[in-house]
Amino acid sequence: MKSISARTSFALILASILLFGLLSFVIRFFLYADRWVSFVGSPHVYTNGRLDTGDILDRSGEVLYSSDRDQSYSDNVLIRTATLHLLGDREGNIPARLISSFASKLFGYNKLTGTSAMETKGGELHLSVSAQVQAIALQAMNGRKGTVGVYNYRSGEILCAVSSPSFDPLNPPNLDSDNFDGRYDGVYVYRFFRSAYTPGSIFKLTTLAAALEQDPAIQNESFNCSGSLIVNGERITCPRAHGTQSLEDALANSCNCAFAQITGELGKEGLLKQAKAIRLEEKLSVDGFSTARGHLDLSEADENALAWAGIGQYTDQINPCQYMVFMGAIANGGIAAEPWLVSSASCAGRESYRADRQQTPRMLSEQTAKILRGLMRHNVETMYGAVDIPGLPVCAKSGTAEVGSDANTATFAGFVASERYPLAFIVVVESGGAGSVAGAPIARTVLESCINVMDGE
Amino acid sequence: MNIILDFFRGQDGFTVLSIYHGTLRLVLPLMALLIVFRSARSLLGFRREPEVWAWLRLATGELLPVTHWENLMGRKKSADIVLNFATVSKNHAVLTRLDDGGWSITDIGAKGKLEVNGRRVLSGPVNYGDRISLAGLEMVLEPVSRQEAKLQADSRTKAGKGNSPGLTLLLLTLFQLLVTVELILNRTEDRVTIMTSFGILICIQWILFFGQKLIRRSGFEVETIAFFLISIGLGICGAGNPGEMYKQLISMGIGIAMFLGLGFCLRDLETAKRLRYLAAGFGVLLFLANLALGRTINGSRNWIFIGGFSFQPSELVKLCFILTGASTMDRIVTRRNLLAFVFYMAFIGACLVVLNDFGSAAIFFVGFLAIALLRSSSYPSGMLVLVGVGMMAVLVLAAVLAIEHFPHVADRFSGYGHVWEHPFDNKGYQQTHSLMCIAAGGLFGLGLGKGWMRYMAASDTDLVFAYVCEEWGLIMGVLMIFALAMLGLFVVRSSKVARSSFYTIGATAAMSIWMVQAILNVFGTVDFLPLTGVTFPFVSNGGSSMMSCWAMMAFLKACDTRQNASFAVKLSTKGGDRG
Repeated sequence: MKSISARTSFALILASILLFGLLSFVIRFFLYADRWVSFVGSPHVYTNGRLDTGDILDRSGEVLYSSDRDQSYSDNVLIRTATLHLLGDREGNIPARLISSFASKLFGYNKLTGTSAMETKGGELHLSVSAQVQAIALQAMNGRKGTVGVYNYRSGEILCAVSSPSFDPLNPPNLDSDNFDGRYDGVYVYRFFRSAYTPGSIFKLTTLAAALEQDPAIQNESFNCSGSLIVNGERITCPRAHGTQSLEDALANSCNCAFAQITGELGKEGLLKQAKAIRLEEKLSVDGFSTARGHLDLSEADENALAWAGIGQYTDQINPCQYMVFMGAIANGGIAAEPWLVSSASCAGRESYRADRQQTPRMLSEQTAKILRGLMRHNVETMYGAVDIPGLPVCAKSGTAEVGSDANTATFAGFVASERYPLAFIVVVESGGAGSVAGAPIARTVLESCINVMDGE
Repeated sequence: MNIILDFFRGQDGFTVLSIYHGTLRLVLPLMALLIVFRSARSLLGFRREPEVWAWLRLATGELLPVTHWENLMGRKKSADIVLNFATVSKNHAVLTRLDDGGWSITDIGAKGKLEVNGRRVLSGPVNYGDRISLAGLEMVLEPVSRQEAKLQADSRTKAGKGNSPGLTLLLLTLFQLLVTVELILNRTEDRVTIMTSFGILICIQWILFFGQKLIRRSGFEVETIAFFLISIGLGICGAGNPGEMYKQLISMGIGIAMFLGLGFCLRDLETAKRLRYLAAGFGVLLFLANLALGRTINGSRNWIFIGGFSFQPSELVKLCFILTGASTMDRIVTRRNLLAFVFYMAFIGACLVVLNDFGSAAIFFVGFLAIALLRSSSYPSGMLVLVGVGMMAVLVLAAVLAIEHFPHVADRFSGYGHVWEHPFDNKGYQQTHSLMCIAAGGLFGLGLGKGWMRYMAASDTDLVFAYVCEEWGLIMGVLMIFALAMLGLFVVRSSKVARSSFYTIGATAAMSIWMVQAILNVFGTVDFLPLTGVTFPFVSNGGSSMMSCWAMMAFLKACDTRQNASFAVKLSTKGGDRG
C-alpha cells in the first residue's frame, strides 16, 4: 500500500498544475484586464460598435474628438486633418490607439467592480499635443510626405507629432480610384511612430557621439578632404573638396570624407555600441503607440560599407520619434525625458491617469553632449540660417538621404538649448531634396509656433 | 473610497435596491470563501492515524501492526510490513483482510517459501493464532482486542470535529437563498422555475445530510463542496437558461442515486470487485451504442438521443473505466494484468477518435495514466514509461490526423496562443470574448443574470469559467477551482491511511480526471491551452456530466477513513462511536 499511496501524488501534480495555472491567470488578469475590457468589440464597453469614451482635448483644452456627438472630430478642417493619425479614422484604417489604450481610464473601469460602475458618459483625455502646432506643421509640409515631431526633452510632452499626407476624417478620399497620382501613398501610416527612414547625415551625430565617447581628443583633430576618398577600393565622395577642416567645420560641411575617416577609426564595435545606447533598434512605446525599429546591421559590412554606415547611408534606418529623443538627450546632457502624449485622463470628474514622467537611460556622457551641442550650434550659425530664431540657441544637423532612384529624403534634426523652451525636434520630408533647404524652414515655423503656445500658457 | 461607493451605486444613484445588490456582491464571495475554507480545514486538517487491523507477533516477542486491508510483506523499505531479514524476498507476500473480517495470505515473490502452520501455501486463509513462516521467519497473527479498537476509534479525528458539517451546510443554504433572491430580482421571467429549482436543491441536500446522520455518518464536506459547485452551476443556468434547471436537478437526482448505490457497493470489497466485470462490459456497450446511434453536435459525434432525452455515453464510460481499472493489491502484484487494461484503454481511445471527441480522449488518457501508474507500483518503471510513451504517440498521431481532416478542430488549434489576432472568427471569438467578459466582471462580478456571456454559445459548458467570473466575479471563479483542487488533495492525503488499493486507485483516477477536466476547461477558456470543449465538474450545464460526477464521488467517500465519516466505509468497530 505504501508504494501505491506514494504514487497518488500523480493527482497532486495535476492539482498543482491547475493551481499554478490559476495563479498565472490571476496575475495576467491584474496586468491585462484593462486591455481586454476595452478591446474593440468588447460587449460591455461598445454599444452598437461604438465606444462611449468621452472627449479628447489638446493641451489648450480644445476638443479634438468627442464620442458624444456621433464620434465627431474638431470643427476646424485643418485641425481634423492634422490630428487624424493621433485619433484614428472612422473606418478603422488608422487605428484609434489613444482611445483603445486609455478607454479603461476614461469610462471608469476598475478591476474591483469591473464594468458595473462604468460611467455612461465618458471622461476626458488631455493630450500634450497642441492642435495649433499640428495644423501649422501640416501646412508647412505643404503636401509633401513626411513627419514633424517636437517634444519637450525636460518634461517629455510631445507638442507636435504630425504625419503627412493626411485627410479629413469627415470627408475621406476614395483611395480606390487612382486619380491622386500617389498623393495619398501610405496615408494610413503614422509616419512619426511607424516609419523607419534612411537618415542621411543626421546620423553623423551618432557616429560623432560614438567617436567622442571613445576618444574626446578627436575634437582637436583636423581632417583633409580632397572631394573623394578611396576606402577598400571604392570611392567615398563629397559634393566638393572641403580642404583641411577642423572637426567643427567637418560637421558643418557634413564632410563625407572626414566622417569616413572617423568611422574607420571608430570601427564597427564603437558604432554599434552607440546605436544601442540611443536605442536605435528598440521599439519604444508611447501611450499606446509603438515605434518602428531603426536598423544598423554591420555584420556583412566591409570597410567601405562601414564608412557609408557612419555617414548615414548603407542600410541604416532611424525612426523619427526615437531619433528626436536622441536629440533631446544631446540637449539635456546625455539623458532626456521619455516622450508621452497623454498628460492626464479623467472619468466622471475624477482623475484616473496622470503622465508618468520617466528619464531615458544615459545615451551619451555629459561631456560628449556638451561638445555636440557646441558643434550643432556652430552648424546653425554657419550653415542653417533658415532655422535660426533670434535670441534662441537653436542647434541642428541636416541630412540628405539617398534612397534608390527616388529623390533624396530630407532630414533635419536638432533642439533649442534653452531652459525656457527645452524643445527637441525632427523633420523628415520624403523626396524633399537637400535636408537644410527643405527641413530648416519647416523646423523654424513649427518651433516658433511651439514657443508661441508655450508663452501663452 | 470612491471605488467602495461604486459597489453600492446603481444606474440611478443610490437606492435601497442598489445598496442591497452591492452588499450582496461582497457577501456572496465572502460566504463562498467561508464554505470552502471550512470544508478544506475539515478535509485537509485531520490527523492521519493509521488503523490497526491486526498484529503480527514475531518469535522475539516484537509486535508488528497490520495497518491496511492489503499489506505488502517484504524486505524492501516501501513494504507495509518491513521484514528486514536476508532470507525474506523484497516482495514476499500480501496479507489481505477479507470483508468478513478474516484474513488471507498470498505468495507473490516468496518462490514457495511461505508456510501457514507448517504447510506451504500459494494463497490461502489465515486465522488468528496461525503460525506464518516467511522463508523461515516465524510470526503469529493476533487479533486486535475490542478495547484496543475502541481506543483507536476514540483517538482518531472524527469527521467534522471543530468544523460542524451541519453549520457549513447551513451556510451553504443561506448562500443558495441569497442567490435565489438575487436571481429573482434580476430576472423578470421564470421566477417560479428559479425558486422551485433552488428549493428542490436545498431539500435534497438536507435529506442526504440527515439520511447520513441517521446511519451515524457525519462527514459531509465532500457533498457540501459538490452542492456548492452545483449551486453556482444552477445559478448560471437560472441566469441564462432557466428551462434547463429541472433537467439539471433530475440528472443530479439520478447521479445521487448512483452515488449512494456505488458507495454502498464499495463498502464491500468483494461486491466491488465483482462490479468491475459488469462495468467493463457496460463501458464497451455504451461506446458501441454511441458508435451506432451517435449524433454530431459541435463536431463531435458523442451524443445519443433516446426518446427525447440526450446524453453523452462517454461521461458514463468514465465511471466504468475507473471501476475496470481499480484493483486490489494481491491481484496487482500476482497477476500483473495491466495489459488487458491497456487494451481496454486502446479500445476507448479508438472509439473517441472515431467519434472525433479529443477532449474526452485526453481525459481518459490522464485517467489511464493515473491507474497505470498506481497499478504498476511493483513493476520495473521502464515498462510503464514504454506504455505511456506508446499511448502518447497514438494520441498525438490521432490529434494530428484530426487537425488535418476536421476543420473545426483545425480552427481551434490554429487560433491557440494568438486569439487576439482573431477576435471575430472561429479561431479566437470564444476565447477573446471570454477574456473581455472576465475583465468586465472584475473581482466581484457584475451580478447574477447581468452578464453578457449568456448570449454566447456553449458559455454554460465549455466557457463556464468565464461565465462565473463575469457574473460572480473572479474571486468566485478562483474559489470554484480551489474547491475542486481541494478534493484532489484530500484523496492524496487520505491515501496514506487507505485500506485497499482498490479504493485508492479508484479515488485517484476519479480526481485525476476531474483535475484534468478543470485544467482543459479553464485554461482552454483563457487561451492557455487549445479549447477542447470539456466540462467543469458539477458546474458546467450537462446532465450526463452531472451524473458521472456524482457517481465518481463515491470513490472519494470510499477512501474517507476518518472515524464515522463516510457511508461508503463500514464502521471500524462494531457499533462504532455511539457518543
